[in-house]
Amino acid sequence: MSRALEDILFGDLNPKAQAMTRAVSVAVAATVLLLVAGTVYQFHAASQLDGRLWELFAWKSTWDFLAKGLFGTLASAAAAAVIALVLGLVLLVGRRSRLRVARWPAIAVIEFLRGVPTLLLIYVCFLVLPSVGIKLSAYWMLTLPVGLSTAAVVAEMYRAGVLAVPRGQTDAARALGLNEARVFAHVVFPQALRYIVPALVAQLVIVVKDTTFGYVVTYGELMQNAKVLIANYRSLVPVYLAVAVLYCLVNYAISRASRRLGRPMH
Amino acid sequence: MGSVVRLLADYGPAFGQALLLTWKLTAMSFVAGFALGIVVTVARLLPLRPLRFVLTGYVEVFRNIPSAALLIFIVFALPDLDVLIDYEPSVVLTLALVCSAFTADYLRTGINTVGRGQVEAARSLGMRPMVVISSVVLPQALRSVVQPMTSLLIALMLSTSLASQVPLPGRELTALVAKIANDSAAGTTAFAVAAAMYLVSGLLIAWAGATLEKKVRILR
Repeated sequence: MSRALEDILFGDLNPKAQAMTRAVSVAVAATVLLLVAGTVYQFHAASQLDGRLWELFAWKSTWDFLAKGLFGTLASAAAAAVIALVLGLVLLVGRRSRLRVARWPAIAVIEFLRGVPTLLLIYVCFLVLPSVGIKLSAYWMLTLPVGLSTAAVVAEMYRAGVLAVPRGQTDAARALGLNEARVFAHVVFPQALRYIVPALVAQLVIVVKDTTFGYVVTYGELMQNAKVLIANYRSLVPVYLAVAVLYCLVNYAISRASRRLGRPMH
Repeated sequence: MGSVVRLLADYGPAFGQALLLTWKLTAMSFVAGFALGIVVTVARLLPLRPLRFVLTGYVEVFRNIPSAALLIFIVFALPDLDVLIDYEPSVVLTLALVCSAFTADYLRTGINTVGRGQVEAARSLGMRPMVVISSVVLPQALRSVVQPMTSLLIALMLSTSLASQVPLPGRELTALVAKIANDSAAGTTAFAVAAAMYLVSGLLIAWAGATLEKKVRILR
């Protein structure tokens, strides 16, 4: 392993520069502590540190309700992920087809779903579909659009994975007499999946982020439940802070898992 | 086709304004986020432990927090802390913070592609560390991140739909579609028109990115 870039850049400072670096480090640390103190004081000055604003976190019911919200978030994210994985595969097969009638619609669907904001798709399910007589439950008004727009991204990831599988694998499988479907299902796709597992897991972070819009369709996910808590207990800052921290923790855990999977397995 | 003509007769100027607002929000948050991202990247290189620690936290937080949760916090919770930010700056601030975290992440990857030997050579020529960063490391790192930054810009453009969650004085595309779908039966058509505008904007960005990439790419 070669030296880190930082070490090459700053590894050979003269004593004077080293002393200066230490002094600046201390100054930075002091500034950060001052900023933290300032933030706490601002909370105090705006009387946001009042016990009655925070006491709801001492109740089990609050945590149960937040946990229920988190469960709602994960339930929607999981179903959206399944939709994306399955539909993504369908789109990939369409996109790789030799038949134009399959390939062009698949490309159009992928480009469309990738190029339109998820929130706009949610509004379509929420406001437009009912006017043409299609009524979805709140759960599906959130999960379906999130799953659809992720499917297009996943289809492109699958494609990148398939392109990364060495050409010789396909040739060898064909030479063994496997037909095209089996070459794809037994040889190419399983290997392609291995390449893209880290990226797929990382995409899960975006899925969780997108489910935040559950409150738009009043589906009981974390953000929606936070709004209910705030409406009931009028403790705005603490609840939004707690929710932000929860989202960060969940997504950080997923990012970590993705990075771990991305390391070579030997 | 007739419904599109009728819709544009009624809402044509509104769609024009909405598209412009979408572009404006995208551009403002990208420029601010990109600049902030570069500052964060460089600051994380400095041999200042506390600064690195804080900035690593900064990047992780803003990479992982949902933009909607951040926007809602800025718009609805900060006023309770006596920090009042107007709606449009709030949207730009939200997107810029998120954009800066991803920029810092991509730029760090870009910096890792710069050969260590170049940095060693520059140092042995007597260049100061900050000069090495600004004239050897950063230019090459920037040239290598055109593709991920293009994807980020497209994602940012789509994220401006967040602005529909706060009562902006003007409406961007998603807010306009929501309003039209609420007020009239032209929701489907409005959605199609807005979707087309998003798609064309995304294609334009992708094309500009590819052109830039071709110009500045470093062949190794």
